[in-house]
Amino acid sequence: MKRTLLLAAALGLVAGLSACKKDEPSRWETSATATLSAAATPKIEGSKLNAFFPADNTDGHTRVFSQEKDGFVEAKLKKDGADVATLSISDASGDDAVKSKFEKSTDKVGDYPLVTVGKNQSAVLVNGKFQVKVSSPTLDPDARKAWLGKFDLAGLAKL
Amino acid sequence: MSDTPLHQLVEELPSSSITTRLLGLLDYAVPGEWKNITSFEEMVKDVTGEDDSDLIQQVGERAIALYNDPENGYQRAVWLYQTLDDTQGIAGIAALANKLSGDFDFLDFLDEVTPKADNAQAVDAGVKLIGELTAFCLVNGLPGDSIGDFASAFANAQKEDAMRLAAFLAFDCVIPLGPDFLIKLNDTIGGLTDGLLSENGRFSKIVSFLPVPDLASSKKMISDNFDATKGVLERFSVERGLEQNTLFAKVRTVLGNVDDKLDYVAAGLDLVSNHFEHTGIQSVARRVISRAYGEI
Repeated sequence: MKRTLLLAAALGLVAGLSACKKDEPSRWETSATATLSAAATPKIEGSKLNAFFPADNTDGHTRVFSQEKDGFVEAKLKKDGADVATLSISDASGDDAVKSKFEKSTDKVGDYPLVTVGKNQSAVLVNGKFQVKVSSPTLDPDARKAWLGKFDLAGLAKL
Repeated sequence: MSDTPLHQLVEELPSSSITTRLLGLLDYAVPGEWKNITSFEEMVKDVTGEDDSDLIQQVGERAIALYNDPENGYQRAVWLYQTLDDTQGIAGIAALANKLSGDFDFLDFLDEVTPKADNAQAVDAGVKLIGELTAFCLVNGLPGDSIGDFASAFANAQKEDAMRLAAFLAFDCVIPLGPDFLIKLNDTIGGLTDGLLSENGRFSKIVSFLPVPDLASSKKMISDNFDATKGVLERFSVERGLEQNTLFAKVRTVLGNVDDKLDYVAAGLDLVSNHFEHTGIQSVARRVISRAYGEI
């Protein structure tokens, strides 16, 4: 009897779990209709940011621009045709949530606070306004930091 | 225009369908470039290489929010990709209602297909090419000479973009038009008339999304775009072995013993394959996620 009850309870639990799984909302559901706040929506024209990227052919690497949107420009850094890193500059001026991570920074590139994000990204914040990032699954944090130093950060700070 | 959230678009893609099986046949031409990612979380992981759950959530949420703002152009790009494969009003064949189902019978379906004349097929290919160009600009934004940038990006296409280019060449150019498809495209596009263009069902659907004001400018855009990309199209098809006989033999393994009714198969493929929509949604998701990862 006891075993039957246990079995029934176990089956009930399994049924409950599968029902739970079935009804469980996707991890993305809550943000399905969200948009960025007006303050966090960058305004600067992307083309104004291009000039501050490392030049094409820096240290034998090619730089191919891959996205240019208002407030965001991205380029692929390649060597011998293979992807090495993704470089980006974004206008974070109105996005306090994005900027807050730099308060914990313990390192710098030039005068600008440096942080790592996840395992593949390094970022600096220039003039409290522009976020410059190097993302790469193959470059280590030191190599990413070195590439951040090849951007014209001082020029960007004057923008 | 599509207002379905980005994650849902990706997750509603079939993991197996006629389209995915046809695309799978092209792996020989673009080896390893395309994985059929139909989970948004998987796409975030694939783009970022990150595995921290909170970070993945943050990137995914920002990507969804970026996509939701129509000003960013991503929704229009998805709409364009969907429309390039939309057969409603072009075929109007009831049998197409179940084209995504696994037991779809292509041989039966072929009885209802009317082969297209070469010039109509060539206009279709030209229209798909400017659809791709416009979607590309909407997603990536482009400075200055957008057609030149598009041609160079086209030549360096990777992942879903490479697969879409292979599928366009295979199913919209080489199979229907044969080995001299570029000459046929050149002749038709070079002599494109207002009538031929405005009769094209796909063109009339996408024209309002093109960055040009009238029919004359559209003709010029199609022709300029073709001139800028034909070298890439030729190199890609030759270097990747996209030959009519090879492709036809491969397509038969998916569609059944379709004999040598090449014209019918070409017209049928146009109706059953959603290669622009399927890989287009994956391309848009990849780009938006990459941007979100750069912005967070």
